[in-house]
Amino acid sequence: MKLASISAFEIAKKVRGGELKASQVTQEALAQIRKVDGIPGSLLPYQVSAEEERKVHAFIQVTEEMALAQAKKVDEAVANGEDPGMLAGVPISIKDIFCVEGTTTTAASRFLENFEAPYTATSVQKLIDAGGVILGKVNLDEFTFGSSTESSAYQPSTNNPWNTEHVPGGSSGGSAASVAAEETALSLGTDTGGSIRQPAAFCGVVGLKPTYGRISRLGLIAFSSSLDCPGPISRDVRDAALMLQAMAGQDPKDSTSSVRPVGNYLQALEQDVRGLRIGLSPDYEAVYYPDLETGEIHREPIQKEVHDAVLRAAEVLAKAGAEIVENVPMPNTRYGIPVYFVVSRIEAASNLHRFDGVKYGYRTKSEVRNLEELYRRTRAEGFGPEPKLRILMGMYLSAAGYSSDYYQHALKVRAMIRRDFDRVFDPIGEFSLDAMLTPTTAATAFKRKDVFGDSLLMQYSDQMTVASNHAGVPAVTIPAGLDDGGLPIGIQLIGNDFCEDMILRIGRAFEQKTQDDAWRKVRPQALGGEVQA
Amino acid sequence: MKDYEVIIGLETHIQLNTVTKIFCSCKADSWEDEPNTNICPVCSGLPGVLPVLNEEAVRKGAALAAAMHAEINPESRFDRKNYFYPDLPKGYQITQFDQPIGKGGCLDLKMPDGQTRHVRIHKLHLEEDAGKTKIEHGTRLVDFNRCGVPLVEMVTEPDLRSGDEAAQYLIQLRQLLRWIGVSEADMERGHLRCDANVSIRKRGSEVLNTKTEIKNVNSIDAVRQAIGEEAKRQVELVESGGTVKSYTLDWDADRGKLTMMRSKESEADYRYFREPDLLPVVLSEEKIEAIRAGLPELPMVRRERFEREYGLSAYDAEILTGERSLSEYFEAAVKCFGGGEKSISNWMINDLTRLMNDLDKTAAELILTPAFLAEIIRLVEEGKINAATGKNLLRKVEESGRDPVEIVEAEGLAVIADSGALRTQIEAILAGAPDEVANFKAGKESLLGWFVGQVMRATGGKADPKLTREILLELLKN
Repeated sequence: MKLASISAFEIAKKVRGGELKASQVTQEALAQIRKVDGIPGSLLPYQVSAEEERKVHAFIQVTEEMALAQAKKVDEAVANGEDPGMLAGVPISIKDIFCVEGTTTTAASRFLENFEAPYTATSVQKLIDAGGVILGKVNLDEFTFGSSTESSAYQPSTNNPWNTEHVPGGSSGGSAASVAAEETALSLGTDTGGSIRQPAAFCGVVGLKPTYGRISRLGLIAFSSSLDCPGPISRDVRDAALMLQAMAGQDPKDSTSSVRPVGNYLQALEQDVRGLRIGLSPDYEAVYYPDLETGEIHREPIQKEVHDAVLRAAEVLAKAGAEIVENVPMPNTRYGIPVYFVVSRIEAASNLHRFDGVKYGYRTKSEVRNLEELYRRTRAEGFGPEPKLRILMGMYLSAAGYSSDYYQHALKVRAMIRRDFDRVFDPIGEFSLDAMLTPTTAATAFKRKDVFGDSLLMQYSDQMTVASNHAGVPAVTIPAGLDDGGLPIGIQLIGNDFCEDMILRIGRAFEQKTQDDAWRKVRPQALGGEVQA
Repeated sequence: MKDYEVIIGLETHIQLNTVTKIFCSCKADSWEDEPNTNICPVCSGLPGVLPVLNEEAVRKGAALAAAMHAEINPESRFDRKNYFYPDLPKGYQITQFDQPIGKGGCLDLKMPDGQTRHVRIHKLHLEEDAGKTKIEHGTRLVDFNRCGVPLVEMVTEPDLRSGDEAAQYLIQLRQLLRWIGVSEADMERGHLRCDANVSIRKRGSEVLNTKTEIKNVNSIDAVRQAIGEEAKRQVELVESGGTVKSYTLDWDADRGKLTMMRSKESEADYRYFREPDLLPVVLSEEKIEAIRAGLPELPMVRRERFEREYGLSAYDAEILTGERSLSEYFEAAVKCFGGGEKSISNWMINDLTRLMNDLDKTAAELILTPAFLAEIIRLVEEGKINAATGKNLLRKVEESGRDPVEIVEAEGLAVIADSGALRTQIEAILAGAPDEVANFKAGKESLLGWFVGQVMRATGGKADPKLTREILLELLKN
């Protein structure tokens, strides 16, 4: 499919210029979905045919009618000489954690199988208002709780388009896969501990977690409210900038959204990187995790190819005129996951309280004798194992008598993680960095079922990304090569508060300097590429 | 009973009279609205929604804190109180836990016997109300209208010592809430709700014994009665060798009885933590100063000033400061009159309040302005109209909105002070009552009052009483 493989920027430009009809783009995107996606994720039992095993399965719900109606509106606007918006005719998929009027919003949970929100998330509304065409809702880990999309109640869950035996990452796995498989130009994901960046890295696409508060959270079904960030997933940096531009800004309906004026992200891309100070940290060269028996901290170096990709990127940027600052200490990075376990579980358990079978969503069909039994049965039947684990842990951690040991302590460590960033970005400090350059993940996409079931190990796949969620700072992942198995490698740029323009600008420079790299010519399996042995 | 002291703490929930709810733009007051007609995705807890704080609720909460002599925290925070109940759609209540809007505070109760009771405030914070559930034909129904209505929860220290004191606390609190305009404080409509914690101890002891909590004491009488009953029960229990257990009791106002709801031995764990969806509430020094400056003179202060400045009796001052607009009416009338505080006070307490009661109006709602009242009193005191006419004028002015002087002229209500005209009328009356004249002349001087009455009847009460008496005596003695 030709149209969907071109960038969102080009599509919008052509649609706005009358060279291309939004309806035509939409039709082609829908055709691509039919071709590569396979059966949609559902609660029904499904047949695992060899052919389906090789499909992407990004979508839970394709909103064909809505998409065609939106496209028609864009075409009419163009025909009438009106401004159709900066995303005119650009096909977009939405992680099914956002409420969109006229669709069911499942959060990939049995609980919300039939839930239709009476309102539309601010971020989604802004995409529609900018002329974007919403193709449908894509799969994710149940309530975003996971890093592989396998915990979705809607099966088959998404496969990695580069190698369908591997996971796409998560929780925005459907989003990243739908963009990588060229079913859509853009996707709206959410990132709480790495849920945009990790799947984007696994699927070889760009994923941006903006500064906390840069994009409204209204309409995003909350996981961990103090960490959740909506953000763009795209095939190149310019498209991420374009999508961010459409969504950024204060929302009077989200008190935590920032009133800071929104920059011009596209314009920022035109600047080069000469003189910019970019840091490398030894604290991003290994994963640290505790031994469950002894509590001893193990250090496991990250995958060599991933580490090499970071160093190569540093060379590219240095050659382009950036100053690489080595040995930048980020000593609290290793505590990111333990802190995340506490903060996110406590908030998640509370956020899931509202799913009680009283008002909407799943309610047990069995006879109940009293209210308590209604709650117990409904929640036991409605939630999958991952939400249950998180609820149990969150309740335990926030219980009177434990909260001061865990939650209060975690908040202090979170502040220490924040201080790591404050120190390196301090313009008159020792480092005065413009960005940090790190791996996005410790390793490339793992095989399906390899990690699923080990909630702890799964969580540790977010170690490179979670610190920026704690600190609230923006971070973007950019494809930087393929490993020996032909799986994509992502590098991450982390910036100071509201400096999305800076990390996008560096990312764009890297992208342009490596435009002719051989790995960029390799096509994902789902698009007809060969899977490497 | 008299060997024991009753220790009482009150927990009140005060509904702030904001236009909209605390975290969304739904109408705050749903009194008499159909169930679930006043709700939106935010207050009914749909997935994905976020609260947005109503600044007016913060201002009113802070004003109440200031009026209670509490410190206003320059930075307060909201927390989540997590529990499951069908009337709580989010599964948590947004409230303030460890950094509330107010800190400390007190209320001095003026007891009818002249004693003062100093009541300290233990807790004063903002929160959202929950909905209501009821069971009808075996089905549990939920009404979310009340979800998100702004409340201040205010808890006293265990400083009250009797049902009467508890009742007085509610009376003065209700007065204060209306006075500073933060709540309608209508207990029948649930604007002011009260739970009472009651324990007893031997007089002279300093320990705090196990307390029981009485829920739903939602009228002044209920508070007085329920506490009395519970104290009596506890004393009898202890006297007969029993021990008080930590129960939650329900007050049934219709039967005047307490019933046990549940044991409170195992306290629920609400797993409080910071509400991540809301920013800290920051009140600048200027803002706090503006809130303090915006408060009217408080009732107790005004009451004492009325005694001091106008020489009113404690009783009169209490009545006139019972309600803010009444006290303001009084001062406005005094100003218009240029003094006359004693008679204005009398007129207001005796006549104006009756008129207000009859019409169900507050002083501020009267058409009869303080200036009109002052004018009426002046007319009476200058003898232009008599007192009875003056009292009738109150209602006439209220009904017509016309200037009293104008009414007096138009209706010819002025006292007949023209001695010629009056003499003619009196002569006619005397001529028609020869027997009485004869009796008077024979020494039955007590008949003078009867003659005055006849003159008043003939003149429709307008005859100047002094002049009437003079003319009568002159004519009768001749």
